Order: sequence, then structure tokens, then C-alpha cells
Amino acid sequence: MNTTTPAPPAKRRKKSLIRRFLAGPLPWITPMLLLILAIVLWPVYEMGRTSVLEISGSGVTKGFAGLENYRELFDNPNLLGAISRTFFWVITVVAITIFISLFLAQLLNAKFPGRRFVRYALIVPWAASVIMTATSFRWMLDGYYGILNRILLDLGLVEEAIDWMGSAETSLPWLIIVAVFVSLPFTTFVILAGLQTVPGEVYEAAKVDGASARKTYFSITFPLLRTSLFIATVINLINVFNQFPIIWVMTGGGPGYTTDTTTTLMYKLAFRSQEIGQSAALSVVNFGIILIFVLIYIRATGFGKREDR
Amino acid sequence: MAKISLRRGAALALSGLLAAGTLAGCAAESTDGGATDTGSSSSAESTTIRVVAAQYTDDMQPYYDDLVARFEADNPTINVEVEVVSWNDIDQKIKTMVQTNDLPDIGNLNYFSSFAADGLLYTADELLPAATLDDMVETFIENSKYEGTAYAVPDLASARLFFYNKDIFDAAGLTKDDIVTWDGVRAAAEKIKATVPDVTPLALPLGPEEAQAEFLIWAASNNGGYYNNGAWDITSDANVETLEYLQGLVADGLTNPSPATFNRTDGAFALFAQGQVGMLNGAIFLPSVLEEQGSTINYDIAPFPTNRADGTSITLGVQDYFFGFKNEGETNKAAVQAFMSFLFEADNYAGFLEAAGGFLPATKSAGEAMSSDEALAPYIAVLPNAVFYPGAEASWPAVQGETQQTIGLAVAKGADIMSVLEGIASKAE
Repeated sequence: MNTTTPAPPAKRRKKSLIRRFLAGPLPWITPMLLLILAIVLWPVYEMGRTSVLEISGSGVTKGFAGLENYRELFDNPNLLGAISRTFFWVITVVAITIFISLFLAQLLNAKFPGRRFVRYALIVPWAASVIMTATSFRWMLDGYYGILNRILLDLGLVEEAIDWMGSAETSLPWLIIVAVFVSLPFTTFVILAGLQTVPGEVYEAAKVDGASARKTYFSITFPLLRTSLFIATVINLINVFNQFPIIWVMTGGGPGYTTDTTTTLMYKLAFRSQEIGQSAALSVVNFGIILIFVLIYIRATGFGKREDR
Repeated sequence: MAKISLRRGAALALSGLLAAGTLAGCAAESTDGGATDTGSSSSAESTTIRVVAAQYTDDMQPYYDDLVARFEADNPTINVEVEVVSWNDIDQKIKTMVQTNDLPDIGNLNYFSSFAADGLLYTADELLPAATLDDMVETFIENSKYEGTAYAVPDLASARLFFYNKDIFDAAGLTKDDIVTWDGVRAAAEKIKATVPDVTPLALPLGPEEAQAEFLIWAASNNGGYYNNGAWDITSDANVETLEYLQGLVADGLTNPSPATFNRTDGAFALFAQGQVGMLNGAIFLPSVLEEQGSTINYDIAPFPTNRADGTSITLGVQDYFFGFKNEGETNKAAVQAFMSFLFEADNYAGFLEAAGGFLPATKSAGEAMSSDEALAPYIAVLPNAVFYPGAEASWPAVQGETQQTIGLAVAKGADIMSVLEGIASKAE
């Protein structure tokens, strides 16, 4: 405000400021902003701060370490494997999940007797705790007691019991299968919701114009699913990237570090290798990676631009 | 436009929320730290101490409830809060408390040295009166020292022996005398494999749960180990030779197929309980595990097979510790001292051992009282030949962690033994 112009009495100006504040959007979003500050930004700050501290094996803070934790982290011989495995893991799981969910959603959108029960059934893997699902799979796949080996042996498909969790070659595919299994319900329901928003008139019009089923799907259904697919993909990317219980319960990242993703490695660094600083540095790196995932996806789908038009 | 960018913002905020929420767990640091022993404000004189104790068995909680009730009756100004935590969680629990500066007053764990190195602990002299300390088994006190000073007191110890299934041995025509040496074990395993189908001749649990013990038992039987003559000695020839021997057994199908993912409790012990294992490295508490699982197998114990030139057999002694955390101004010292002394009073300590179930006592007097116990006698007999973890070294927890993760890889077919050992050695400072 220009100081030379005569200012209104201070009291009135104050009052009008308060009124303007109360009339604006701020009172409505302040609780939300505070919440975001408290549960998002503050932990991010703490995470960053921990990563530049020197912390002893027993957990005592020894002082400022600069980038020493990062240097040690990047020298860690297990890091590169974990990062490339994480990318492989996330992309494979999300791609397979989306692919299968498209079919499932289409099925659930069709009218058939008992549809309600099939929809309920699909929720089960979602409703069951991931730890429980992973534990069940871990024992189904056990080399000695596993039901899978029993079936394969009885059918004569294998000569001797296979220790599925014994090496990364056999355990990684199973980890992916379980991750897909638990991701399907959410993804399917998001896509199903998308399918139900497509107005019936559009399909009628297509029918009148004599479009084939395939043409209808690729020209109408799929494009209109874009928003649901976007949401399903981004949320899955983040979930799968941060997926800890499945890997931890089924293989513990082992044998050695051969099935670790950056998320399980982060835990192992802190609680097995006693490298809390390195672990915090890795969590910052993880945070960076997840941001990149999201940004790449937004760029690739042109989501932001399309909406701005 | 505004509506649309808000939507995009919401999507981003949502994703950020999910990401940060998950990551935050590792970085969180409590702000209310340190206020553990101010006691209730109503009576300024009283002190509250917190004890984080290990759950050896389900009897530990009732034991502590009773102990604390009697202690508080004798010491009205001291409140004791005992939290009994399972072995799976206690390490992480105490470490998190240290990291968030929310220290307990007494801890109970299988290592102490990294806390001592950080100057967090009272010395053993400050925990217990001299008479009680003099009653401790010397080896155990020796193992409680960090840089020459004892910073912890042993609470109990365990020892291990070799277990074998008598029925399987009978079927294969083997006896206890056939498994005195490593060559004998190999021959016995081959014989079992040839004569008793569908049985794992030797269980080799090198999975993360207890790999550090399994490895040390085999290595020390060959004069190897982690630590020798005051220095880390992880990449020694003896260790390489040990792993080559085990690798050979694995390659010939004489063990479980993937030792690196095969754990002790749900793997080796469970299979042994079902009569599916010929022999394995067992422990003093294995009989109670077998009983708990309703196992009816016919087994016996033997000394660990040896590959030492002089033919001596070792055992692995494992001791756990009590240690006291200093707080600001050391105002909890008297209370910690009083509680520790109370716990080690003869009757109370006997109750502790009973609740913990089947372990070796840390005090000589309790040892004498229990030497007539037939189940414990063989373990007490081998204790003079016991090897221990280098628990007094501050980097032992890191070495242990790395060993648990990776040593199993060294016995896989065609594994590079030296690179695994070097990886572990890199954690020793």
C-alpha cells in the first residue's frame, strides 16, 4: 500500500482484513494445510535431516555428517541391484495388474447372474491383510510342506520338490504374482467405476453407426477410461514401489540381498546392518524415485495438459 | 481452469501423502524424548523406571508381575514398569527408543556393546553390589566388558550340542561314534541318504534367523570364527575351509537344498520334530521346543563333530545381558540399582531362570544348585570349551546382521566364498 495516500483508521483496516480473510478460501483450507504440514511435510523434513546426521549403530545421534551417508550408500554393493530390481518389480507388477484388471472390470461390468457375488469375491484379496496373504503364499510355496509342491508331485509335473523361495530365480516371479493378486481388486474397481461413467447413449450411437465390438472398445471405452487408468496406475506405482510386507514375509529380501527392493533394503540397512544414516539417505533417494515415477507418468500421459485445455 | 488444476493438485497431494506417509516411518524422531523418569508429579520423591525385558517364554510376564509387586511393596518410592517384548521385536524396540531419545532404564538383550560404546550405560559395578558380581561366572563377566570395563551383567546363558534322530541312525546302521569328526558326519549323511529315503540327513539352517550361530559352530569346530587373538579374523583360511566343507555337503544333496533361506525354528527344528532330519546343531532349549510341538521322535545328543587336529569339541555359549541406561543427571541410578539387586537375590533369580525355562544360570551359586539337573548337566559339562560371540566389540551387531543376511549364500553351489566373507568383514571396524 502506498504510504502517502491517507490510510483508513487502523482499526477499520484490521477489521476489513479479517473480514476479507474470513470470506476467502483460507479458513476452509487451513485445517487441511495444517494437516498436510504436520503429516506430510514435517516427516519429509525429518527424513532429510536424519539423512545428513551421523547416527551410531545403537541409534545415538553423533552430529552432522554432511553427505557422508549418501557417499556410503552409493558405495554399497547391494544398492544398484536393489534399484534395478525395484524398477523391474514396479513396472512388471503394475503393467500386469492393469492388463488383467481391464479384463476383470469389463467382466464385472457385464450383466450376468451372480454378478454381485463375483464382485464381492473380488474384494477378498483386498480385505485380507497383506501380511496374511503373503504368509499363506509363503507356506503354500514352502519346499517341504507346500501344497503347490504336493500338487505338482502328484500330477507328475516335477521330479522332486522345488524350494520356491530358495533362490531369486523362483521366488521373484512368485513375489510378482502375489503383488498382482493383492493389487487387482483396487485397480479393477477403479476401472469398473470408470466404465460405469461412460454414458449408454454413446454406445447406442456407435451401434447405430454399425461399429464393431472391437472398434467400440478402442474408440470409445478405452479413451474414456483414461482418467481411471491414470489414477489406478499412479496409485499402484506408489503402492507397489513401497510394497514391504509381501517381500518381507515371503523372502525377507533373501537369499542374501537378491530379492530386495529399495524399500526392504532401507529396512535392512537400519535394523540389520545398523546403518541408520545410510537407511535415511536411501529413504530420501526412494522419495526422489517415487516423485520421478509420478512426474514421468504425468508427462507421458499428458494428463495435466489435456485437462488444462 | 482453477477447478481443473485443483483436481490435479489433489491427485499429486494424494500421491505425495501416500509416499511420504510410508517413508516417514523411518525418519520419525520423537520430540518428547527423555522424560521417562520424572515420576508422577503428585509425589516428588518417587521414581519410575522402565524395564524392557526379553520374552524367553510366556511365563516371563507373570514372573515380572509378581517380582514388581513385591519390589514395590519393599520400595514404596519406586515404580517399575516392565514391558516384556518378544525376541523378534526387542532389538528394534530398544534401538528405536535410543534413537528417539526415549531411553528405557533397564534393557535386556543379547548384545550391549554398541550402547556402551555410545556411553549410554552404567557400569556393572553401578548395577549390582560387589558380592553379587563376585558370584557371576567369570567367563560371562569377561564377555560383558567393553574396552576392559563391564557395562552389563549376564542374565543367563545357553549352550548348544549336536542332536541326532536315533531311529534314523538305527535304520542306517549308525551310532554316536560315527559322528565325532567332520569326515564322520559326511559319511553318516551319505549313508542316511542311501538307506533312508525322503529324509534330510543334515539340517543346515543358514537362514537369517540364526545363521551367525550356525556358522560359528561349524567354523569354531575348525579353529575358525569371527574374532581371534584380539582381532577380527573373518576371511581366515579356516573359515574358507569350513564353508567349502559345507558347500560340498549341500552340493551332494546331504542337507536341505537352500540353506540361505532355511531358518532354524520353522525350518530345521520343525523338520527335526517331525522326524525328517537325521542330525543338526541343536541347543539347550531344543527339547522344550520338541515337547511344545508334541514331537514323539527318539533322539539323543552328542558333542559337536570336530575338524580340529587335537580332536577337541567346542560348544557355542550364548549369553544375554541386563544393562542400565543412564538418564540425564543419572537420577535413575539408585532405582535401577535397587531393582537389579532385587532381581539377583537368590530366590528371585531362581524364579527368573525357571520362568525363562531351561537356560544356564549366570551365577555360580545358582549353577551349583542346578548341577544336579540331568537335562542341564551335559551342557554345563561342555561350557569350559565354549566359544562366544565377540559381543564386546562395538561393531559386532553390524557383523552379526551381515552374517545373518549373507553367509548362507556362501554354501550355495559354485558360490564365491571369499567375496561373501569379505562382505561380512567390511562391517567389522
